[in-house]
Amino acid sequence: MSELWKRHRNWLAPLLFIAPGALLFGTIIIASSFESVWISFFDWDGVGPKTWAGLANYRELFADPQFYVSLKNNVIWLVMFMAAPPLGLALALLVNQQVAGMRFLKSLFFIPLVLATVTVGVVFGWVYDPNYGLLALIFNLFGATAPALLADEHAVTFAVVVAALWPQIAFCMVLFLAGLNNLSPDIIGAGRVDGARGWNMLWHVVLPQLRQVGFIALAVTVVGALRSFDMIAVMTSGGPFGSSEVLAYQMYEQSIFSYRFGYGAAIATVLFAIMIVFITWYLRMMVRLEKETR
Amino acid sequence: MSHVRLIDIDKYYGSYHALKSVNLTVDKGEFIVMVGPSGCGKSTTLKSIAGLEAISSGEIWINGRNVTREEPGDRGIAMVFQSYALYPHMTVAENMGFGLKMAKRPQAEIDVAVKRAAEILRITDQLDKRPKELSGGQRQRVAIGRAITRSPEVFLFDEPLSNLDAALRTQMRVELTTLHQQLGSTMIYVTHDQVEAMTMASRIVVFNKGVIEQQGAPLELYHNPVNQFVAGFLGAPRINFVAATLVNLRDGVAEVALEGASTVHVPVADTAGLTNGAKLTLGVRPEALKIGDVPDAALSFDAQVRLVEQLGRETVLYVDAGPLAAIGSESGTHNFTVQLGTAAPYAAGQSIKVSARAADLYLFAPDGKAVNRPKLIAASL
Repeated sequence: MSELWKRHRNWLAPLLFIAPGALLFGTIIIASSFESVWISFFDWDGVGPKTWAGLANYRELFADPQFYVSLKNNVIWLVMFMAAPPLGLALALLVNQQVAGMRFLKSLFFIPLVLATVTVGVVFGWVYDPNYGLLALIFNLFGATAPALLADEHAVTFAVVVAALWPQIAFCMVLFLAGLNNLSPDIIGAGRVDGARGWNMLWHVVLPQLRQVGFIALAVTVVGALRSFDMIAVMTSGGPFGSSEVLAYQMYEQSIFSYRFGYGAAIATVLFAIMIVFITWYLRMMVRLEKETR
Repeated sequence: MSHVRLIDIDKYYGSYHALKSVNLTVDKGEFIVMVGPSGCGKSTTLKSIAGLEAISSGEIWINGRNVTREEPGDRGIAMVFQSYALYPHMTVAENMGFGLKMAKRPQAEIDVAVKRAAEILRITDQLDKRPKELSGGQRQRVAIGRAITRSPEVFLFDEPLSNLDAALRTQMRVELTTLHQQLGSTMIYVTHDQVEAMTMASRIVVFNKGVIEQQGAPLELYHNPVNQFVAGFLGAPRINFVAATLVNLRDGVAEVALEGASTVHVPVADTAGLTNGAKLTLGVRPEALKIGDVPDAALSFDAQVRLVEQLGRETVLYVDAGPLAAIGSESGTHNFTVQLGTAAPYAAGQSIKVSARAADLYLFAPDGKAVNRPKLIAASL
């Protein structure tokens, strides 16, 4: 036994360590993904028998005006969320300065991270309240009446995205702060000796070293934008009239509230396809970056 | 003409006093090596000259200009770091030309400067590569090339060879010395390796606990250390120290008693503060210890060989002299180190007699100050 173990432990030990994770990942992520795609070909209320529907769910989806509203909202989320990495970087550069009291300021910027997303949603729901919210107070100060942002079908998505950006920016800031901490002081020193300062130092010396972190921030932000769901559920429940729904929310709404698991699965599959495109691009960039540096 | 001047430099890290009123004058074209143990202030001094560390008080002058408040890039210096500190995302050529690019020089001029530096360091065929494709030695060449390209007033080196393997270190040592001769620039070099200090420096500056203990030509420091610290720091294998008690002082000759050996007479120049019974330290370098009877031996004792290191052209013996115990010896025991300039057929366990002449003995006061300054350079050759 021990002889057998000694001879094979080089591959047995890693296998044993990886097995539990691989098993969980296989069941919960891989198998479930295939299962979802499979379900999308059926008509199913989630409890009763499944009826084969072929591509009917997809045909219905591509004819559904709500699908295009959700898709458009997803694009709005994605575009607006792209502000999170640069703003996070700017904040990280700001709070990374060696100034008295900066530590306190830094902890203030951390706050949205420790709040549950639901809390952020509720807080912003109050801020946007047209009668007694913070926004209303500001408008009243100038003698104007605050718009009911969450009830306006044209403004609602933007209002929700702004709320969602708050923790997202903080998250990017934390990532960039970690990156800034990892900068080699010698390379910064070399840059200073070479006469780089201010903008040149940032552009030529600091930023290139933050590329890896920047990529992670970008990826997390894109994924965050595409799977956005909780904020919408808390702040608008997709309303008014589905105008703030995104694909993830529509999927949830169709499956859970309308008992249309097959249709929901079809939405999930489309969302998955969109994600795959991004992830493929991301992995290719990542590999290229790894090859360039280090 | 003085090229770099440090005037009363003090540096505090919080309450820690890292540099204590350091004064140093460097002439144009000198190769200064600052040595000392970790935390002695040598690197802090170098970074202060570079402007990478702000000093707490004092002034720094480079080429007749007070640069104390100036940015590193404006001081006319270039620095080579122990970690190479190359920009990982730039090619070798971009790395080397970055300083000139920041100075907004035309690209044609940058290309010429980079090419010239690359030729000096023989890295012309590496110019399009990125740092990670290079070996450690090549990276250090690029870092040196980056310094050359800026044609600075002063080159600063912060332990540049520490990350290289032994063979490469020896090679780069020779190359740097050659480079210094070729460029004739002022160079200030920090190392903890006393071999680098001895071989490269035109002047060594020995740091300890934030002060300059002594400075001078390598052989001057080697033969005439002002105190026990300098004597112990320079020289490999390390000098042997042994506790001694002053029994009599007469006509410039100190008579000192050693535990387990006969009384030794050492000529002293500086008798200030020496009283009978004072606890002194006697020092003798490994190569000054001879085996067998020496005609005019001042120190001699019987010992047993514990360990023999045959280095081919020389032999190092670690010998146990019983009650006569060496302090802080190379081997971590109380053994004496004896260095013979030949391949000598000694074996562990052998009993030998070890002797040294009076002119080869150092004597240090209780506060570590050297009390005899034997002019040994001529005498020992």
